[in-house]
Amino acid sequence: MPNLISKTAQGWQVEDEAEPPAWCSEDNWQPGQPLRLAGDAEAAPAYVEASSIAIEFPVFSDGRGLSLAVLLRTRLNYTGEIRATGAIHEDVLHYMVRCGFDSFELPDDRDQKVALASLAPYADQYQASVLQPEPAFRRVNRGRSA
Amino acid sequence: MYQYDDFDRTFVAERVEHYRAQTQRYLAGKLSEDEFLQLRLRNGLYVQRLAPMLRVAVPYGTLSGKQLHMLAHIARTYDKGYGHLSTRQNMQFNWPELAEVPDILQSLAEVDMHAIQTSGNCIRNITTDEFAGAAADEAVDPRPYCELMRQWSTNHPEFDWLPRKFKIAVTGAASDRAAIAVHDIGLRAFVDDDGETLFDIYVGGGLGRTPVIGSLIYHGLPAPHLLTYLESIMRIYNRYGRRDNKYKARIKILVRAMTAEGFKAKVEEDWAHIKDGPSTLSNTEIQRMVDAFEPPAFPDVEDNAGELQGLRLEHPGFSQWLHHNVVAHRADGYAVVTLSTKVTGIAPGDVSDEQMDAVAAWADAYSFGELRISHEQNFVLPHVPKKALFELWQGAQAQGLATANYGLLTDIICCPGGDYCSLANAKSIPVAEAIQHRFDDYDFIHDLGELDLNISGCMNACGHHHVGHIGILGVDKKGQEFYQISLGGHSGHSGSDPTLGQIVGPSFARQDVPDVIATILDVFVEQRLEQESFLGCFQRIGMDLFKERIYAEPD
Repeated sequence: MPNLISKTAQGWQVEDEAEPPAWCSEDNWQPGQPLRLAGDAEAAPAYVEASSIAIEFPVFSDGRGLSLAVLLRTRLNYTGEIRATGAIHEDVLHYMVRCGFDSFELPDDRDQKVALASLAPYADQYQASVLQPEPAFRRVNRGRSA
Repeated sequence: MYQYDDFDRTFVAERVEHYRAQTQRYLAGKLSEDEFLQLRLRNGLYVQRLAPMLRVAVPYGTLSGKQLHMLAHIARTYDKGYGHLSTRQNMQFNWPELAEVPDILQSLAEVDMHAIQTSGNCIRNITTDEFAGAAADEAVDPRPYCELMRQWSTNHPEFDWLPRKFKIAVTGAASDRAAIAVHDIGLRAFVDDDGETLFDIYVGGGLGRTPVIGSLIYHGLPAPHLLTYLESIMRIYNRYGRRDNKYKARIKILVRAMTAEGFKAKVEEDWAHIKDGPSTLSNTEIQRMVDAFEPPAFPDVEDNAGELQGLRLEHPGFSQWLHHNVVAHRADGYAVVTLSTKVTGIAPGDVSDEQMDAVAAWADAYSFGELRISHEQNFVLPHVPKKALFELWQGAQAQGLATANYGLLTDIICCPGGDYCSLANAKSIPVAEAIQHRFDDYDFIHDLGELDLNISGCMNACGHHHVGHIGILGVDKKGQEFYQISLGGHSGHSGSDPTLGQIVGPSFARQDVPDVIATILDVFVEQRLEQESFLGCFQRIGMDLFKERIYAEPD
C-alpha cells in the first residue's frame, strides 16, 4: 500500500516509494547520504549536506522531533527533504508541516484520506513558523471585526 | 477588556470544527482511547471519576457579563446546573456528555470563548492578578501581555507536545497575587525610570510532588523581546526536558539538573539566533493590546463616605464585608469587590447557574460589564462605584455570595479532590467543609486575621497546599485516606518572599483534621504578639511549639 505523503510541485501526494532511501544512522553517515535522526539528536552543522533527513518519532505525542526540524530549517537553512517516520498520526501532521517537514511515512494502520485532509486544518495561525516566518501581527491587519 | 477580531473568531470556529471531526472519528471507532485522549485533553476534556470534565479557559481570569451568562446557560443545559471555579482561574463543568462537547465549544465560540489547551502537555491558560487593571498597587497591567502570550501559545506548531504541562503566571503589582514563584515561568512586569515596560523572568517554580521556588534568569527584559525569549525557554525545555518519567518531566527538574545558570546560558545561546527576528513584538502590536485593556473612563462619582458610615453602623454584616471583601481601587469613588464562594456546606469554588447569572448581571450593572475569577476560587467585580456597594451587598447576600471571609481562615482554596478527580488520593471537599463547620464564628476568624488555608487531594497540588499558611495534603496509606499538614507556606502576596510550607509530622485521619487545626490556632492565639499575622507568628516562633502541642499525648 502506498504510504509516503510528500509535498510536490502539484501539492501533497500519496505515493508508493519504489526505492526508499538507504538511511544511515548518525554514526555511519557521510555527506551526500540520507540521514536518519532520533528526536533527541543535535542539529550538527555537517548535516546540511545530507541528501535527505528522516526524523523518527517514537510516539506521536513526543514533540522533540518538531524542534529538531525547526533547527535544521532555521539554523542550518537545510533545504532538502525532512521526512517524519515512526509513530506518525493523522492529527499531528499539521504541526509537522508548520515545523518544516515535507514528507511523512504514514503507518499502514492510519487513514490516508484523513491524513491528507489534516495537513492544514486552519486558514491562518497566530505565531510564526518555518512555513510562515512572519507572525500574524506583522501580516494581518488585526483588530477588525465584522 | 480584549475583544476578539475576525482573526480570533475564524481560528476558534475552525478549532471547534476540527475537534468535532476528531470526536466523530473517535465515536466511529477510528481513534483509539489513547489517541483521542491526547486530542480531547488539548480541547479541555478530561474523563474523571464519575463523568467527563470540561475545563473552559478564562484567559487571565477576565470575563464579560455576557460570557458568564453563557457559562450559566451551559451549566443549565449540559451540566447539573453548576460549575466550578478552578485555582487556575478557569471554569470547570463536571457532567458534560462527551458527544455533546463540540456543541458546548460552539456555544462558547459564540461569546468568544474556548477550551483550547486547558489540559494536556502544552502551554496552559496564562494566569494573573485577579485585581489587574484596578489594583492601587499596580505598576503594569499584565493582561495585554497575557493576551499576547495567549495568542502566541495557541496551537503553537513546536510547543504543543511538551514533556509535561506548562503554566505561566504574570504579575505587575507590588503584591504578587498571581503566585509567580510557583509556576513553570513566572513574569514580573515593572516600569523603569524611562517609562519602559520590563520583565523579570523566573523559571522552574512549581508545586506538585517536588515543590520548588522559581529562579530568576533574566532581570529587566524589554517587552518587545518577551515572545522570542519565551520561545527559547520553550525550545530548551521541549528538547531536553525528561520524557522517561512523568514525575520528573516538569521544567523545574530540568532547571535543577542544568542549574539555573546553565539553563539560562542554553536559553540565551538559542535566543541569540532569534532575538530581533520577526517574532519580536512591534510597538504597534503592543500598543494595540495595551489599548484593548484600557480601563473604562471612570466617571467622577460621589464618594458618599458619610452615608456608607451610617450603613455600616446599621448593618454589622455589611461592615464586616466592606472590611474584608472590598479593597482599594486606583480611581476615587470606586472599589474592588470579592464575592466569596466559600460558604459552609458548599464546595469551595462551586457556583450555580443562578449565581452565575446574578454575578453577570451585577458585572453589567455595577462593574462596566467586567468580572474576574480569582485563583482563590472567588468572583471579583473590579470596578464598583462605592455608592453601589450596599445594593450589591444585599443582592450578594440573597445569592449566598456575600460571606465576609476574603483572605480569612474559611476562604479555603480547595481542589475537587477524590469526590470528582480520578488522580486524587483523598477527598478534599469534606475536609474544607468540616473546617468551615468547626470555625463558623465570625469574630473568631476575623480576630485570627489573614490566614490562607489550602487543601489538595493529592501530590499534584491543585489546591496549592504548599503555599498555604496552613496546608493540607490528602495522602493514601494502604487504601486509607490520611492528611499531611504543613505550616508557614505562602505564595508571595504577603509581602515577603514566597516560601514553601514545612510538614509538621505524621499525617492524620480525616476526622481528626479539624481538631489539629484547632490546636494550631490555639498555639497561634496564645503566642501571637499584638496584631501579628499567623504567618508572622510562625516565622518568629518556628515549628517546635506547634509540633509539640499537635502530637502531645492526651492527659
